[in-house]
Amino acid sequence: MKLPSYRPKQSGLSLVLLLVIALVLLFPLRGEAYAGPGAGFAVLSSFWTIFVAFLYSFYALITWPIRHLLRMFRRRKAYGKAQVKRVVIVGFDGMDPELANRFMGEGKLPNLAKLRDHGTFRPLRTTFPAISPVAWSTFQTGVNPGKHNIYDFLARDLKNYLPYLSSAQISEPKRHLHIGKYSLPLGKSEVKGLRRGTPFWHWLGKAGVFCSVIRVPVTFPPERFPGVLLSGMCVPDLKGSQGTFCFCTTRVSSDKFREGGVRIPIERNGAGFHSYIPGPENPLGTGRELRAEFKLRADIKRAQARIEIDSETFAIKVGEYSDWVPVKFKAGMGFTARGICRFYLKEISPEVEVYVTPVNIDPGHPDLPISHPVTYSIYLAKLFGPYATLGLAEDTWALNEEVLDDQAFLAQCYGNHEDRERMFFDALEKTPQGLCACVFDTTDRVQHMFWRYLDKDHPAVRDVPQDQKPRVIEDLYDRMDTLIGRVMQQIDDQALLLVISDHGFKPFNRCMNLNAWLHQNGYLVLKDGKSESGDWFEDVDWSRTRAYTMGLNGLYLNIQGREREGIVEAGAKAEALKEELRSKLDGLVDPASGRVGITGMFDCDALYAGPYVDNAPDLIVGYGEGFRASWDSVMGKVTSAIFEDNLKAWSGDHCVDPRLVPGVLFSNRKIAIEKPAIVDVAPTVMKLFGLELPSYFDGKPWAVAGTGGK
Amino acid sequence: MIASSTASNIPLLLVLAISIVIGLLMVIVFRYTSDQKAIGRAKDKLKAHLLAVRLFQDQLPVVMRAYGRILHGTGSYLRLACTPFLIAILPITFLIVQLDRYFGWVPLQPAQAFLVEARVEDPAALNQASLQLPPELSSSAPAVHDPKDKEVVWRVVADRIGLFDIHIAAGGQTVSKQVVVALGLARISPLRLRRNFWERMFTSGEPALADNSPVQSIAINYPPRVIGFAWMEWNWIVLFFVVSLIAGFIFKSVLGIHV
Repeated sequence: MKLPSYRPKQSGLSLVLLLVIALVLLFPLRGEAYAGPGAGFAVLSSFWTIFVAFLYSFYALITWPIRHLLRMFRRRKAYGKAQVKRVVIVGFDGMDPELANRFMGEGKLPNLAKLRDHGTFRPLRTTFPAISPVAWSTFQTGVNPGKHNIYDFLARDLKNYLPYLSSAQISEPKRHLHIGKYSLPLGKSEVKGLRRGTPFWHWLGKAGVFCSVIRVPVTFPPERFPGVLLSGMCVPDLKGSQGTFCFCTTRVSSDKFREGGVRIPIERNGAGFHSYIPGPENPLGTGRELRAEFKLRADIKRAQARIEIDSETFAIKVGEYSDWVPVKFKAGMGFTARGICRFYLKEISPEVEVYVTPVNIDPGHPDLPISHPVTYSIYLAKLFGPYATLGLAEDTWALNEEVLDDQAFLAQCYGNHEDRERMFFDALEKTPQGLCACVFDTTDRVQHMFWRYLDKDHPAVRDVPQDQKPRVIEDLYDRMDTLIGRVMQQIDDQALLLVISDHGFKPFNRCMNLNAWLHQNGYLVLKDGKSESGDWFEDVDWSRTRAYTMGLNGLYLNIQGREREGIVEAGAKAEALKEELRSKLDGLVDPASGRVGITGMFDCDALYAGPYVDNAPDLIVGYGEGFRASWDSVMGKVTSAIFEDNLKAWSGDHCVDPRLVPGVLFSNRKIAIEKPAIVDVAPTVMKLFGLELPSYFDGKPWAVAGTGGK
Repeated sequence: MIASSTASNIPLLLVLAISIVIGLLMVIVFRYTSDQKAIGRAKDKLKAHLLAVRLFQDQLPVVMRAYGRILHGTGSYLRLACTPFLIAILPITFLIVQLDRYFGWVPLQPAQAFLVEARVEDPAALNQASLQLPPELSSSAPAVHDPKDKEVVWRVVADRIGLFDIHIAAGGQTVSKQVVVALGLARISPLRLRRNFWERMFTSGEPALADNSPVQSIAINYPPRVIGFAWMEWNWIVLFFVVSLIAGFIFKSVLGIHV
């Protein structure tokens, strides 16, 4: 029997502490408790990570030979014949070649100028119509819209003439369990992608070429492929919309926002205030909208407010955004929808006004998949913190409705842009070999909203002297040039850099309601006694209507047997009607300005070929420079005026004659082609990696210098 | 019978209750003495690097960099956890040492034989060492001398419950040691030591022996306490560690604290 006995030892606090830590780490028996549970937390938490890493390393090590062989087998096709080690595609949505050329001519944009001087700079032919979802779908699939089925943001339902989102459909779970007033969903919501065709990174991935794809439009829902992808444009918010902001205010107003937002009252509650953020509909079938309540306490002296929502409490000053704040919408019975949003304190006195961004899907806990694999969005959220996931995250509606001012909108845009730059440069680092593609949409949003300062005659800022107009777009191009400079520093000679845009930009001074023109010219007939129609053809008499427009550029005939109440006979009569409309509309002059409002009417039978041509409009309207479809016309509203001034902040656009708005193509290598098109990108990249091109591709690969191209 | 069962469970119930309370307190201390945001960020980054290993598994350089970042991130996390750890370690250590007096050993029972071991500095003093017992205690065997270990051991038995002082005379001096004979929980010091503050802090509950004492230590072989819980026999400290850790992890989730 051994008794506890005295053993002479050195003393000292540090020695004891070290001893305790050593005991904790080395002998998890009796000594660890002297360090207490605090040490246990630290040790367990950190060593758990190391333990998992060790386990995974072990797994990776023992499976390495097999995976290496498999990879070699898969990659023999790709890298064996590859002419480049890496292709980096930087997409700037809406970057305009004329503007880029102008700024480079003024000595700005040194990095893009370097690409122009030592590589390639060309206008890049866009799609018909020149709309982002259409053009980026063509970019990724290498085919015309007749083969990928995307013709606009919106498509029409032939049964009821109502629109739906053309890129994806989210439907409720099919089966429910009914318990009293509740209807419990059995399963998850189904998200169905409507874009057809195969993105070229799927081909590359199958051949063993690793691809990182960040925020390319129309990649929601994300599809499985061997690589990583974060979805971009068309990802909905938590309400399922393309972005619904919330404007909480103590000001009493019955005005509703035309689009994209809701006004919510802030109620006084003693010394404080309370309000709520509207969320998705209750999934338990109660038909009620879920809400996330928040409390606000105003500190007028400091011009700030303290906001409490769920367990989060934070302070924001007037004119500042909060960080991303997690919000939970509790439906009951354990169902919770999670999202994130940012608060912007617009005013604290005499009234209180708070703008809340659309509630984005939380990338760290996505309720809907927004990446492939699902863990990729989580990985990015863990690495960089929460970020905007909404497809159209820059809240153009809030600026249009004057809820946000220019500065607040720009702060939001560039905040999102910085997050995306971080993600992109991480993807670049993680893709030393293969494809790294990222689309930045700040260029599109900022040009849409600030073209008014570039255009000396824009009706929205006629009162602002030219020398007082901020140089927002110059600054935007300058920032993008800096980004390209950073990319150029991180790639070597074995990489091909392509800087592309899907379309260019033009001013948007005059709105044209083509439905009004069709009405006034007898092609669209309203119900008896009506001189105008509400949204979505509310007062249209379909039994007497021959043509209508919906969306940004599509004109449809009301074809018998196709549309529910179609009256135009398909075939010769439809062709004759198309020709009649073409001849009347092509060259249509705006009487107020004397300028041509429509410079081209394009027959879709001639534009498109493929299995989905039946879903295409019958004609594509090519608006002239300075013109675009009015918001009313886009939403199926028939007004009395055909032309009117555009007084909104949304002052630049590209939904015009596609010949007027090509995109850009910059490269670090010489590309020998006179008129490159966006449809050529997919075949070019696939060829550079040595892959056979599918026979259905519409694009043609470019000859790229230094890669075997002549 | 029921009363006896409840009495025998008292140490277990007390250990469980103390562990849960300490688990909660530790989480709260951690919350207010740590940089919660930085810890949250550090843990998130660690998770991100772990995910990177999985996501980019075919890119060997990327995976190797991720491993490096995991190690670096673990170091950063431990550094952030160090401050609350250091702040908590002293009171917790002190508390556990005190609790160990009660839960670490079982008191001696009447008629139960036990050993008294005295260690001396000079082996020559062994032959003069003698044990002086109060009337309630009696020696049940002759003393055993172990010159190699400089120890002398007596076998003693107590007649009844009580707190008793035994005396050991050696080298012309007499030193004493407390003996506890009890049925329930009692504060027990199994060892009395000379000098060395830190050693006494951890193992002895009695004043130090005089610096010039020829006796270096006196030990009583109290039986160590074993607590039955969850079909296992536990040392109370191990049980305390496990339960307080589990309680801490539960409370940190409930209170939304990054640990």
